[in-house]
Amino acid sequence: MSTPLPQSRVRVQRIAEAAVERARLRVVPRLSPNAPRVPFVTLVSVLLLAGVVGLLMFNTHMQQNSFAATELEQQANELTSRQQTLQMELEELRNPQRVAEQAQALGMVPSAHPAFLRITDGKVLGVPTPATPADRDDVRPPAAKKPADLVPPKNVIRVPADSKAKTKAERRAETKKQNRSGRNETSTNDQGDRSPR
Amino acid sequence: MSLRNQPRRVPATRGSALFRLRFGFIIIAMVLSVFGVRLVQLQGLDPNSYAARAAKEGTDTVELPAERGAIVDRNGVELASSVDGLMIVADPQMTKDDAGAIATYLADKLGVDYFATLDRLGRDETRFQYIARRVPSTVANRVIDALEEKGFKGLTTRRDPMRDYPADDVAANLIGFVGEDAPLAGFERTFDKQLAGIDGKTTYEVGGGNRIPLGANNTVKPVNGQDLQLTIERDVQWYVQRVLREGVRAAQGDSGTAIVMNRETGEILANADYPSFDANEPLRSPKEDLGTRGTSDPYEPGSVEKVLTFSSLIDAGKITPRTRLRVPGVIDSQGQPIHDYWDHGDIRLTAAGALAKSSNVGTVLATRQFKSTELGDYLKAFGLGQRTNIGVRGESGGKLPDPSTWSQLSQDNIAFGQGLSVNAVQMAAAINTIANGGVRVDPSIIKGEAVTDSGQKVGSSTTTTHRVVSESAARQTAEMMELVTDPVDGIAPGAAIEGYRVAGKTGTAQRVGSECGCYDGTFTVSFAGFAPADNPKFTVYVVIQNPKNGMGGGTAGGPVFRKIMTYLLRKYGVPPTGAPATTLPVEW
Repeated sequence: MSTPLPQSRVRVQRIAEAAVERARLRVVPRLSPNAPRVPFVTLVSVLLLAGVVGLLMFNTHMQQNSFAATELEQQANELTSRQQTLQMELEELRNPQRVAEQAQALGMVPSAHPAFLRITDGKVLGVPTPATPADRDDVRPPAAKKPADLVPPKNVIRVPADSKAKTKAERRAETKKQNRSGRNETSTNDQGDRSPR
Repeated sequence: MSLRNQPRRVPATRGSALFRLRFGFIIIAMVLSVFGVRLVQLQGLDPNSYAARAAKEGTDTVELPAERGAIVDRNGVELASSVDGLMIVADPQMTKDDAGAIATYLADKLGVDYFATLDRLGRDETRFQYIARRVPSTVANRVIDALEEKGFKGLTTRRDPMRDYPADDVAANLIGFVGEDAPLAGFERTFDKQLAGIDGKTTYEVGGGNRIPLGANNTVKPVNGQDLQLTIERDVQWYVQRVLREGVRAAQGDSGTAIVMNRETGEILANADYPSFDANEPLRSPKEDLGTRGTSDPYEPGSVEKVLTFSSLIDAGKITPRTRLRVPGVIDSQGQPIHDYWDHGDIRLTAAGALAKSSNVGTVLATRQFKSTELGDYLKAFGLGQRTNIGVRGESGGKLPDPSTWSQLSQDNIAFGQGLSVNAVQMAAAINTIANGGVRVDPSIIKGEAVTDSGQKVGSSTTTTHRVVSESAARQTAEMMELVTDPVDGIAPGAAIEGYRVAGKTGTAQRVGSECGCYDGTFTVSFAGFAPADNPKFTVYVVIQNPKNGMGGGTAGGPVFRKIMTYLLRKYGVPPTGAPATTLPVEW
């Protein structure tokens, strides 16, 4: 559309001559071949450098954040487990068994007679009775049973009934006499090894 | 453009342009076809394995464990909770040289066995040995850090979730415990689906131990397990367990069960079994102590059942508490003599007296007014012979013989609690029916609602109620039961609480031995009751199996009942009603 009309020798139209004259192509003066290139090159270089450095910094920053995130996550985990461990210790302290044992150690016993004081008229409901040591409940677990393996078998030595039964004192006297007189090695052994092992 | 106009002369040695063009094309085609073949090989033949290998290189998958839900009591106090734990593992190839020093330190800090640890740390031909399991993570990390500081390497930690039971043996029989990998008993197992949750996982690219930002990341979030709330109250449960233990030991019994029930709601506040076990150390106790005996081992209830018989009789209009009975010393039942526990000639007891003195003969006499299946139908309505389905594992429904098959002998026996078997929760719920004005409330031990592993909905919000006997029959029965704890007329004055009206009933039943299948001369003694009798808040039921010092239900179970009831009345602030005690006559 904007193509200039081919130059023609025949001037048919003269109507818009001024406009045509204005639209006529003219040779543009050549750009100076030695326009300064330095600003442009500098601009591009700066842009390039800024881009690369910016990207690098962005990346480094992301990495840094990633490190920080990992560290914080670890810290959060540690704190969570610490909280849980403390909670566990707290529950341990709140264990009714522990509380009861401590109360007993302070000499406390549960009241065996529920009684109430009604505040509105000051009336005592129930039969108030002081608690006594007899109301103490046995809250400690019973001692563990000794395993059968640990109970030594009874070593029973049956002594045949002696017709001439001697008293303990007589026997001792006899042993003494033997020891003193004969130094008989077997005699002491005979009597000494009675105790069950 | 200007070049085209001045073609350069090409040296003849390079051949014609056409030739060079074709030659170049052929080379390019060959190279491209090699690429093509490789492409087909990679993408067409087995793309997944290559993709997997690529993914494995440089990506890390971390399991995001779902936290196991806690088991809490009715007030939200934790009875079982999950704690982050770690296992400590060793690479013996790295620890071999310093085994002695490391083992000493570990034995000192973690309490592990020194010799076993020493052995593990010095083993050959392995690079993986467990040193300690289920160590709280703070402790484990502290120990490992300290060892590393000392220059010992080769110990690492891995995730190893711990299950902690802060109150040790409190409600252990109900809650159960978790094994190395799976829940093994109790609620832990029954409600595992709800408690466990669903593990998630996250996959991400790593470089040097850190996540690569903007790298591929794929996360499936874990769904944490849900808490399970019980109707149990921890402190009550603890106290009941201790008092029961004391009672069973005093009676030199084999085992015992005690149940505390909220009269109005049927919620079980405590369900104690003895012997029990420490849920943190379940393997230290014998296997038979790990379950809930009270619900899994049915027994014959004995005279406690007379309460049900008498309330049925009153409801049916057959007797009143003042009905006069002439009770002989022995009564014949199809050739079998039935005695009372004490010798007597003809005595004159009221119906109330027969219950208060626990006369079998009197009960049989009164019950003979029932025709055919009447008593059986009442007992069924009280819930005997059917499982309570409260969610406790391995519940036995007990055995109530089909009423249509009863002989005179079986009705006579069942009337005073022999010849049928029950579990403790069933019986507690049946007695609670009397306390609750004749309306039976289903017992429950799970607060709200939960689904068992067999797909059954249980819990306090699924319970139903139905009337078994009329309100006046229940009230009259409760008055009769008051006489049991009467210091003069009753047989269990040890269960009375000064200032309160206490209704109760003793039971001393012959036990069926497991070997002979007959009554083997051992007994089950029990005591059931509620207070205050005229406006009950709690029903307490105590059972002691095989007491060896000749104690009956009143002497063995009564004091345990009194202690538990006293504790409950005090703890929940239930004052005496102040109404005068019953004046029902025992004799005439």
